[in-house]
Amino acid sequence: MHFLTLTQVNFHYPKLSRMALENINLEIEQKSITAIIGPNGSGKTTLGKVMIGILQATGGKVLLQGEPVSEMSLAQIGRRIGYVFQNPDLQLFCATVAEEIGFGLVNQGWEPARVKEKVDFCLEFFQLAEYRHVFPLLLSQGEKQRVAIASVLVAENEFVILDEPTIGLDAYRKKILAGYLRKIASIGRGMVLISHDMGFVEHLADRVIQLEKGRIVGDSERKGRNGYDT
Amino acid sequence: MTLDPRTKMVIVICLSTLALIYNSAGELLPLLLVTLLLLLLFRIDISSVWVYLKRFLQLMLVVFIIQCIFTRGGEVLLSLGSTALVSSQGLLAGASLVLRIIVIISAALIFTTFSSRDFILGLVQWKIPYELAFMVTIAMRFLPLFRDEFVNVVTAIQLRGVELKQVSWGRKIDLFRSLLFPVVFGALLKAQQLAVAMESRGFRAYPRRTYLRRLDFIWIDYAVMLIFITITLMLIISY
Amino acid sequence: MEAVIVEDLSYRYWPEGPLVLKNMNFRMARGEMLVITGLSGCGKSTLCYCLSGIAGHRRDGVMQGQILLDGKDIQKLRAASLALEVGIVFQDPDSQLFSPSVEDEIAFGPENLCLPPGDIRARVDEVLDLLGISSLIEANPYHLSGGEKHLVALAAVLALDPPLLILDEVMSQLDQQAVQRVADVLKRLKDAGKTIIAVEHRLETVTFADHLMVLERGALARWGPIEPMTADREFLAAQHLID
Ligand SMILES: Nc1ncnc2c1ncn2[C@@H]1O[C@H](COP(=O)(O)OP(=O)(O)OP(=O)(O)O)[C@@H](O)[C@H]1O
Ligand SMILES: Nc1ncnc2c1ncn2[C@@H]1O[C@H](COP(=O)(O)OP(=O)(O)OP(=O)(O)O)[C@@H](O)[C@H]1O
Ligand SMILES: [Mg+2]
Ligand SMILES: [Mg+2]
Repeated sequence: MHFLTLTQVNFHYPKLSRMALENINLEIEQKSITAIIGPNGSGKTTLGKVMIGILQATGGKVLLQGEPVSEMSLAQIGRRIGYVFQNPDLQLFCATVAEEIGFGLVNQGWEPARVKEKVDFCLEFFQLAEYRHVFPLLLSQGEKQRVAIASVLVAENEFVILDEPTIGLDAYRKKILAGYLRKIASIGRGMVLISHDMGFVEHLADRVIQLEKGRIVGDSERKGRNGYDT
Repeated sequence: MTLDPRTKMVIVICLSTLALIYNSAGELLPLLLVTLLLLLLFRIDISSVWVYLKRFLQLMLVVFIIQCIFTRGGEVLLSLGSTALVSSQGLLAGASLVLRIIVIISAALIFTTFSSRDFILGLVQWKIPYELAFMVTIAMRFLPLFRDEFVNVVTAIQLRGVELKQVSWGRKIDLFRSLLFPVVFGALLKAQQLAVAMESRGFRAYPRRTYLRRLDFIWIDYAVMLIFITITLMLIISY
Repeated sequence: MEAVIVEDLSYRYWPEGPLVLKNMNFRMARGEMLVITGLSGCGKSTLCYCLSGIAGHRRDGVMQGQILLDGKDIQKLRAASLALEVGIVFQDPDSQLFSPSVEDEIAFGPENLCLPPGDIRARVDEVLDLLGISSLIEANPYHLSGGEKHLVALAAVLALDPPLLILDEVMSQLDQQAVQRVADVLKRLKDAGKTIIAVEHRLETVTFADHLMVLERGALARWGPIEPMTADREFLAAQHLID
């Protein structure tokens, strides 16, 4: 069974005259890195939100391992798929960076000692240790972005969707992120990368899906790049 | 019919004033009919009234129950042992209060037929200082901003795997208490950023400013406004 | 007279806070373009806030040193009159859009400058066309995609037509075509005599600039003509600015 299956998916925003997504048919495997690329306004973010049920498709079906996403709660989906928003401000809501990263773990009932261990690791890895006690919304844009990414990746979901994860990151932090993503992909956790940063995508993706004006105009598989999908 | 936003504002004020003054269902019901008729005239989809009302449903239910219980008099309709719970008077009072809320919400829908820009233009052309006009619209904008902020946070929390509906009440209160400060602070920060953004684009650079568009207050506006104010005043005086 | 003079600039976000900018000095002539780069968190945005006069007007911020724009000390200018000297596009597009439609958003600045309606109309149409977003004119800025929002924010500032433009990573969310378009617009503005300061991670998009500034933890690590510096791969790699 495919991990995510979209059949004949349409999406229409109430105040937009054209369709934001039209006739999307897509199957995504769990153990792979799928990139979604396309020009500004082509519907990448909308597609990501439809996949995870933040937006409900106005036509067609979205299935997560055979189950319709429309019948699951956001929390049920969120425990299986991590989601990083395009704008980090929308997903940061805790009083300190450390709390932010630990939030999901604490509330899913992890033991405090293990939470601390994971949080410490993430702070160190994404070079945020010095901001441990800082209010996340007072950070620089790139720092916020890293907090948002860390707070989702820390939960070790089987699948993650990252919407433009490289915005605001410098070349050095991009490399660190790419390394991390490659590592988790190699142990079987899959992801969808929404990005216009071709340089970043080129190095990582097994499959590149191209959107234009809400439609899929290109879909190229490049199996076996990372050596686990042969 | 395209009326000046100022005329529409006056209409909304007239309708809500009457709704506040009237007390009985017998008076409020005709007022509601008039309001709905006006909405039709302004080409507002009546079904959108329901969409808006839905958000206030819980509030109305609570208000209704409180009114029912605390207003005494008339026949006793429901009692618990020897204490009367619901009386006929209470039921009527509850019903009229709910009607009143419905009239006010429906009337406010007239505001959706023009944008906040027209609102500002209207006020400014009536010689109200533009700083004040902007302040009012920004304040009006702020409620949705706070709401959006809240919706975003709730979405983000759920996406991190927390089933808000199943969390126990004690835990939920804990959660909200720990989130209150960051969310309020975040919204204030956003407000501050918006103020800076406006200023950096020259807001209040001069005591005066110009406008891309202007509104024309024509004879029909004067006529409609006069009619509404006169009728409302007459109704109030004869009440 | 120089367009920008920065002398001994230091900044902290609150009185006992760490120094986010440390003792910076530089100058720019009119019509020059400066690119600022550096690792995330090194103080690029803070420098932009200082140069546009926002940081100096913050309640808790402590700014030391002096910034002169066209000979005028920005500390002595009223916040709103600064709009005549400098236009800034912020890094986060969401925090600078507040109007009910794209048209109103762009007209907002020129309206504040008391331009006659005919001129405002002309400016709005011109910048929309320049950035290729004429089709968005009726849209609500809140309901746009990330890249579209950034273009609208840029258009709104271009409509003010300030002599100094500060752009904080405006190209970060744009697709290739839009990046090219914005680069062309900047080139044209520069040739028309505007002074431009742009924060950018991808240096290949702004090769037509004059100066490059590399910031390292709030201090000026290097400053000079852009070409030899972008050619110095070793230096850039040592600064972790390229792979
Ligand atoms: N809330 C909304 N209401 C109405 N229209 C919207 C809304 N959000 C997005 N749109 C429109 O839908 C289209 C697709 O938007 P989307 O955010 O999915 O684009 P995107 O591919 O992510 O672009 P970007 O690269 O700029 O982030 C755009 O034309 C946008 O203007
Ligand atoms: N409002 C604020 N209050 C306190 N500290 C802040 C504030 N904004 C930024 N900082 C801190 O100041 C430092 C510099 O931030 P700045 O936003 O200038 O970085 P930047 O170079 O623009 O980074 P990026 O590339 O990530 O945008 C960072 O360490 C940041 O955490
Ligand atoms: Mg997007
Ligand atoms: Mg920055």
